[in-house]
Parts: sequence; C-alpha cells; structure tokens
Amino acid sequence: MKGAVMKKGKQPRSVGRVARDVTVIGMALLWLVPTWLLVVNALTSVETYTGSPRWVPDGFGFFDNLVAAWDAGDFGQATANSLGYAFVCAAAAVLVAAGAAFAVAVMPVRRPALWFWLIYTGTLLPLQVFVRPLFSASAELDLYDSWTGLAIVYTAICVPFAFFVIRNYLATVPREITEAALLDGASWWRVFYSVHLPLAKPAMAAAFIFQFVWVWNELLFGISLTFSPTARPIMAALADLSSGYSRVPPPVVLAAALAVSVPTVALFFAFQRLFVSSMRTNI
Amino acid sequence: MGGLAEGRRVSSTVSTQPPVSVAGSAAGAAPRRRTRPGGPRRNLAAAAFLLPAAALVAVVLLVPFGATVYRSLLTDDLQPVFGGLSAYAKLLDDPALSLSLLNTLLWMAGTLLLPVGFGLAVAVMTNAQKWGRIARLAVVLPYAISGSAVAVIWGYMLRSDGAVNQMLANLGLESWAHDWLLEDPLNTFGMIMANTWQATGVAVILFLVGLQTIPPETVEAAAIDGADGWVRFRHIVLPQLRPVTYVVVGISLANALRTFDVIWVMTQGGPARTSETLALSMYRESFLLQRPGVGSAIAVVLTLIVLASSWLYLRGQGKAAR
Repeated sequence: MKGAVMKKGKQPRSVGRVARDVTVIGMALLWLVPTWLLVVNALTSVETYTGSPRWVPDGFGFFDNLVAAWDAGDFGQATANSLGYAFVCAAAAVLVAAGAAFAVAVMPVRRPALWFWLIYTGTLLPLQVFVRPLFSASAELDLYDSWTGLAIVYTAICVPFAFFVIRNYLATVPREITEAALLDGASWWRVFYSVHLPLAKPAMAAAFIFQFVWVWNELLFGISLTFSPTARPIMAALADLSSGYSRVPPPVVLAAALAVSVPTVALFFAFQRLFVSSMRTNI
Repeated sequence: MGGLAEGRRVSSTVSTQPPVSVAGSAAGAAPRRRTRPGGPRRNLAAAAFLLPAAALVAVVLLVPFGATVYRSLLTDDLQPVFGGLSAYAKLLDDPALSLSLLNTLLWMAGTLLLPVGFGLAVAVMTNAQKWGRIARLAVVLPYAISGSAVAVIWGYMLRSDGAVNQMLANLGLESWAHDWLLEDPLNTFGMIMANTWQATGVAVILFLVGLQTIPPETVEAAAIDGADGWVRFRHIVLPQLRPVTYVVVGISLANALRTFDVIWVMTQGGPARTSETLALSMYRESFLLQRPGVGSAIAVVLTLIVLASSWLYLRGQGKAAR
C-alpha cells in the first residue's frame, strides 16, 4: 500500500514483527473458516452428508443441492423478483435523486440546507420506524403483498443516500460551467440533461451499485410487506428455507446461501476501488 | 444499516470522491444565491427537480415516521386511546423487553470492542506488509455477504451439532461444548461474533483510509528519534486516527443497533425471546403480538439511540451540508 505508515523495524527480524505477522496470518485464517465451511458443505452432496459438518470437500453435489433449494424455496421466482427490485428501484432512486441533487447543489433554490436535511434524514432513521405504518398503508391501498408496493418502498428508501452521494459530487462542479450554459440560453432542464447528468455519471454509478446491493440484501421489508412467492424477495426466501432447517438438509440451505451471495460478492470485487474510494470524503 | 448486507447503512455515511476539492464548493454556494435571486419561473423549475425526491421521501418515510411516533403514544386496547408514555413504560416493566434492552446494550458494547478493535488492529498491522492485501481480503470478504447468508453460515457453525461443537469434541474439549443458540446469554454472544465476522471489514477499510492520510514524515521522524514500533503507534499514529475513529464507532454502532436479518435468521430472537434486541422486539410486538403501540415505542427508542450514535459521524457531514 502507498504511504506505509508503520515503517518496517530497523532490525530485520525483530520479535515484534514476527508476532505481528503471526497475528495477521492467524486472524486471516480464522476469518476464512466460516467461508471455507460454507463452500465445502454447500458442495457436499446430500447423499454423502453424514449429519456433521465436513472440513474437506468430497464429491460435487452443488448443483443438485441448488436444484433442491430452488424447488423447496421457490427461488426461481424470488430471484426474478429481487433482480427486478434491485435494478428498477436502484435506477429509479438514482434518477430521482439526481434531479433533487441538481436542484440543491446547482440551482439557486431558497434554503438548500433545509431541502438537504429533509431528504437526507430518511437515511438516518432505522428502518424499523417505517415498517408498521407502511404495512397498514399498503394494506389499505391494496399494495400489500404486491411487487409494486414493495418496489415503491425500496425506491423511497434508496433516494436519500443516492441524493447524498450525487449532491456531494455536483457541488464540486465549477459554477462557471452552469453560468456559461445559462448565458448561451440553455434552460435548466437542458443544463441538467446536457451538462450535469453526464458529469455526475461516476457518482450515479456508485450510488446505483450501493443501492442495488442494499435492495438485494434487504430482509425486514421483504418479510413484512409480502408473503406470496409472486412478490417475495430473495432474502425472505432464504430465511424461509433456513427456518425449515429440519426438513431440508444443511447442504441445501448452504448452497442457497452461497448462490444468493454470488451477485454481491462479484459486485464487491468488480468495484472494490469504488467501494474504498467512496469512503474517503467523510474522514 | 452493516456489511454489504446492510450496505446502504454503511454507505449512508460515505460518498464518492469528488474530482475537485469539496472545500471550494461549499464556499461557492452562498455568493451564487446572492447574485442570482430566484424568480418565480426559476422556483417553478427548481420545484420540478426537487419534487419527485422530496415527495417520495416525505410520503414513504417521513410521514410513516410521524405516524409511528404518534402511535407510540396510544394504548394497545381494542379502541386505542391516548396513553401518554405508558407504552414506553412497558420497556422497563415487561421482562422480555427489559432483556431485549439489555441485549441491545450488549450488542453496543460488543461492537465497540470487537469490529472496531479488530478493524483497527488489522488495518494497522497489514498497512505496511507486502502480503497485507491478501490477509485483508480475507477479513473484508464477509462484508460483501448479506446478513441473511451470514446468519445461515453462523447458524450452521453454532448449532448444537454444528462445526464449533464438532471442533471442540475433536480437540478433546467436550466439556466446553454448549447449545450456543439455545442458552442465554450465549446466543447473543454468538450473534455478536457473527456480526463481528461481517462488520470488521468496514472498519478495516475506514481505518486504512485514515492511516493513509497520516503524513509519513511524522512517523519517520519518530523512527529516527529511536521510538520503537509500539511507541510510534501509541504516540504518533493513534492520536492522528482520532477523527476516523469517531466515524468508525458511529457507523459500527448504528449498524449493530439496526441489525435485524442476522438475528431473525439465526434465532428469531429466541428461544423464549432471550436473544431479541430492540430491532427485533419492534417487529415481534408490532406484527406477531399485535401490540403496535409498544412496537412503535420500541421503534422510537431505537431511533433515539441510533441518532445519538450517528451524531458521532454526522458532525462532519453537518459541516459539509452548510
């Protein structure tokens, strides 16, 4: 890493360095144990599974396990539902948030701080404080247990943080650009569409990925606002499958847990730099 | 809200690195407003941009928040009437809820001790190592896994016939084996460990970012003065990490307090409600026990604790917003 802070000790093999290296290796190995167990046992076929956890791979039953999980938990429908939730809600939230961020950061609105906090507050409150009223409201509006109902809630929850990210980004765009465009006779809509939207692409992409991952992983609203397979998101399906542990053998549940983690782990590794660099401004 | 699992929660406090410095922008905002006062047409245009987001947040998030606060002041009778703070008093009267409150405090203490402590240790110890990246990857990886999947993995390890008891038996330590998920308070400790496994990655990343902002000259100067590794860490590095530490503690606490999926999938708060936290009690009271008044009161208390924790990192963001 750049900017090595802890300079290596003067003497090449001090006791302290050895102790440090051993600690680091030990922690890394300890951290890998659950992942290792997950992979090995998700790969173990149900026929050879003895009832106690395996530590070394034996055969390859992953796809059979996955098929069993898919049948038991209706994962096909749940995956389709959640892909829809994640894509649609993250994209809608980012677009809506970009408009608001443009207004607050670029346009001369009155009391920008008030608008900022009005929208941003949504991300500070714990989700538990929204659930019950949203449940009652969706029941009254006939949106309970519907894909649309849950999608509206997910979109709204994704707006505040996407707004925060894009606003911070747009606030750094030099004002002269806006002024030049306005002097040339461009409307605000034109300025947004032709100048700031293209400029904000990196921030919008970051916000989209964060929200996509969040929606994919969400459980609380998934189990509170839906119950039938047509609307149930994927983590709710996993939770249902897991609570039926006695009926479904562990390798099947573990295979499902491994499979639902693949998209987020892949996104994390693909956009690792983005995740790290995105944590910088606040420190 | 922890891990990628609670990705939004983590991310809710971070933002993309801007191409230009932030400082310039904050200063630029005020004069702009003065030179270009908003005429009626411009206000109309601004409203068109603001309205979709503001309306969505107001209707789906802020109004329900208000409804929850209001509901917490009503009783849970068939015909709810104004009950003042009686629902809040249940938090102290009801043994299940007092235990939930205690478990929430355990989660807070465990979070301060473990993810924050391990995160600092791993960041500092791997920062200068060539193979540190690989070791770090092992610790950061679970951050990309959802809370529900983490719960499945750890449930598998901590079950009575799970990997932990199997390992203890193989080591000849049968007497150490426990029904980790069935005994109170072991079930709460077990889930704090599961959360630690997932949440340490965020702390590592944040502390690394903090370490890289420390000017290397300060550390080198201390090294030339003959300060050994520990002294350099204790007196040069650690004091300069203080701002980051506030952020890490604030984020970790807020995430731990909101944790729902890990607990729900591992124990559903049981057995006999012994492993509930406020995040879970709210759900059980509101939906399973049909006591929305008490459930709302729990949600409000949880909100207050989360906001108090968030204040640790919000101080920085407040400055940015102005």
